[in-house]
Amino acid sequence: MSLFSGTITALENGLDYASQKQKVISNNIANSDTPKFKAKDVSFKKMLDQELLSSFSTYKTDNRHFDLDIKADASSGVYVRQNQSYNNSGNSVDIDKEMSDLATNQIYYNALTDRISGKFQSLKNVIKGGN
Amino acid sequence: MFHGLNTTATALTSQRLRMDVISSNMANVDTTRGKLVDGEWVPYTRKQVVLQQKDPGFSSFLNIAMNNSSSPGQGVKVGKIVKDDTPFDMVYDPEHADANEDGYVAMPNVDPLREMVDLMSATRSYEANVTVFNASKGMMMKALEIGK
Repeated sequence: MSLFSGTITALENGLDYASQKQKVISNNIANSDTPKFKAKDVSFKKMLDQELLSSFSTYKTDNRHFDLDIKADASSGVYVRQNQSYNNSGNSVDIDKEMSDLATNQIYYNALTDRISGKFQSLKNVIKGGN
Repeated sequence: MFHGLNTTATALTSQRLRMDVISSNMANVDTTRGKLVDGEWVPYTRKQVVLQQKDPGFSSFLNIAMNNSSSPGQGVKVGKIVKDDTPFDMVYDPEHADANEDGYVAMPNVDPLREMVDLMSATRSYEANVTVFNASKGMMMKALEIGK
């Protein structure tokens, strides 16, 4: 029996995602006046896809075939947002979207830390036998 | 760990420098003696900052090589401060000490309205980055409370 169930690991992964997202949002807002800057985003789905892809090995029928090497851009889910409208300096940062993403991300992070704390609290409670 | 805060700090620095340059432009809106060229006074020339993305540093490449973190970017920096090449305003004022034979004075190519708009833009960007800074800080403080 494991003391720390899967919950804490899951919450930890959530925190990883939220802090990565926070970095990306900071960078987008920092560059909101930079000409030709393209807004980035981080996607949990892409992160997962990359993890799944990296366990693949290419089936080769000839030794001259290339390996499916996706390590080169396996950069945990950060990608440049596509299909954006640019303003006249070639910048694609939508400041309203970034600010609302920021607020959402903050609440999400707070919710996760709250849950982790709750988890530790209940463990503590069990260890102390309810005293 | 403080990556997000550092990114925001670069933006705050850049926006503040942008404001300093705008202040300089506004202060010199009537300066007819900006620089002495071949014994003749040339008016103040409007200056402008050029923002550019900060190059990824060594730690960023190291992190990618170690495959434990991706690179969301390093923030922003002021690439250079350029001079505005638009011609000077010629104003008719024969009484002026720097007037030419025809009575015209070359005034700086600073447009106060444009500077005010730039100033507002810089202020708003600064405020947005302060908000991000506080958000990042709030998240870190919250993370410290885990297990309390």
